[in-house]
Amino acid sequence: MAGLQTIIDNCNGMEINRRKVVGIQITRNEIPRVSTTPTKNPWKFSLDMPSSFSYSDARQLMEALDTLDRTGYEDITFSNNACLNWIFRYQGSLSQSQLAGIRVASPNGFVGTTLTLTNLPAVAANRVLFEANDLIQIGSHPYPFTSTTQVLRGTGSTVTVTTHRPNIISTNVDNSAITVGNACQFRMFCPNMPVYKLIPGGTKYAAGGTRISNALIRWSDSFELYEYVGTS
Amino acid sequence: MDNIPAVANSPVQVNSAEFVKITIYNEYGNTANTTVFTASSSYQDETFDSTTFNAAGGLLSVGSQQKDIRVTSADTTVALSGIPNTTISLVLGSKIRGSKLEIWRGFYNDQGELTSNAKRFTGIITGYNIEEDRQDLDDTFTVAVSASNYKTVLENRLASRRTNPESWESFDPDDTSMTNIYSIATQTFDFGKEPKYTSTGGRRGGGNSNNNGGGGRQQLK
Repeated sequence: MAGLQTIIDNCNGMEINRRKVVGIQITRNEIPRVSTTPTKNPWKFSLDMPSSFSYSDARQLMEALDTLDRTGYEDITFSNNACLNWIFRYQGSLSQSQLAGIRVASPNGFVGTTLTLTNLPAVAANRVLFEANDLIQIGSHPYPFTSTTQVLRGTGSTVTVTTHRPNIISTNVDNSAITVGNACQFRMFCPNMPVYKLIPGGTKYAAGGTRISNALIRWSDSFELYEYVGTS
Repeated sequence: MDNIPAVANSPVQVNSAEFVKITIYNEYGNTANTTVFTASSSYQDETFDSTTFNAAGGLLSVGSQQKDIRVTSADTTVALSGIPNTTISLVLGSKIRGSKLEIWRGFYNDQGELTSNAKRFTGIITGYNIEEDRQDLDDTFTVAVSASNYKTVLENRLASRRTNPESWESFDPDDTSMTNIYSIATQTFDFGKEPKYTSTGGRRGGGNSNNNGGGGRQQLK
């Protein structure tokens, strides 16, 4: 069983944190002075889990999480759950087959926060390729980027997408295919991996009314997922 | 005075990262035999000054770098992650003390591209510290190297010479100050007393019980 994916699929609250490392000072005359450090700016999710998991149903989950512990990472997605795939849903107007043909331009297709795409489909110039906040994954690298603005097809052979963070992929991504929307993968780990406590509840009854002892699981904390960019 | 265009005219926002380079001299007297370690706080490897700075170098922090109008002594500290322990082997398995430490600050534009850099510190590593911080189930390692700038190193330099020709001639091969030192090595001097010999005629005044005063051989008493 995939531990973190199960947490994603069953959480009852999710906080998304993409804030950057910054320095902010307000001067004596109240003018803000700002500095930023160009880090890898990892995704951070905080997931709240309900206490409705019964012990007998969650033993595989507990083992998966204990195996991951606080250091193991897992690739997760928001697409494999019908109740969840509206999150990060692709907002553009291209079909999956049209998206599948798009490639990262070459050479220097992704420099800084400027992603240049080529091999675009022959659609009207006013068609929307990406809306702001659409996820884009480069090749098989599970480190999604968002488009910060709306991107129209236009008439050129390429389009330029401004991403929310610079290219953190250390290998050459020229000519790579892209994945968009909720099909993108996130490589996450959980540095605070909560522990679980068994509390009364969850009793089940077998056919014939035989009582089966059980318990509910209460997690010690939220799951603070952090993007594992060390392998990017 | 440093001229750093990236921070000229008080820009409202500055995007910058720190870059650290440690040049370890593996062999005394051979400045070509070096090992270079780099680290940065940037999101990707960057190359300038003929050096590629490794984004995965494990840089944790860079201490303050004092800059004055006149040359002054200043120290700084660079902290590196000890996980994995390659950094620990860097300080334990190499001649880290005496290595050259250089620190730059690189400036980025809004597109995340490095546009310029400014060197902030050059000095010599004078020591290191490995610290394990174990709190409950959290166990981390930090390797900190401390460095002094050249002025401090020069202030601490000890230079002395022995009273033999080899020591003096190591500074100046033509120095003859110690040429005759071996001939007086076993003699006792009464400083301040009248000389008891001349370079040409032996003792003055016709001798005593120990010396008959004749002859031209130079002698010492």
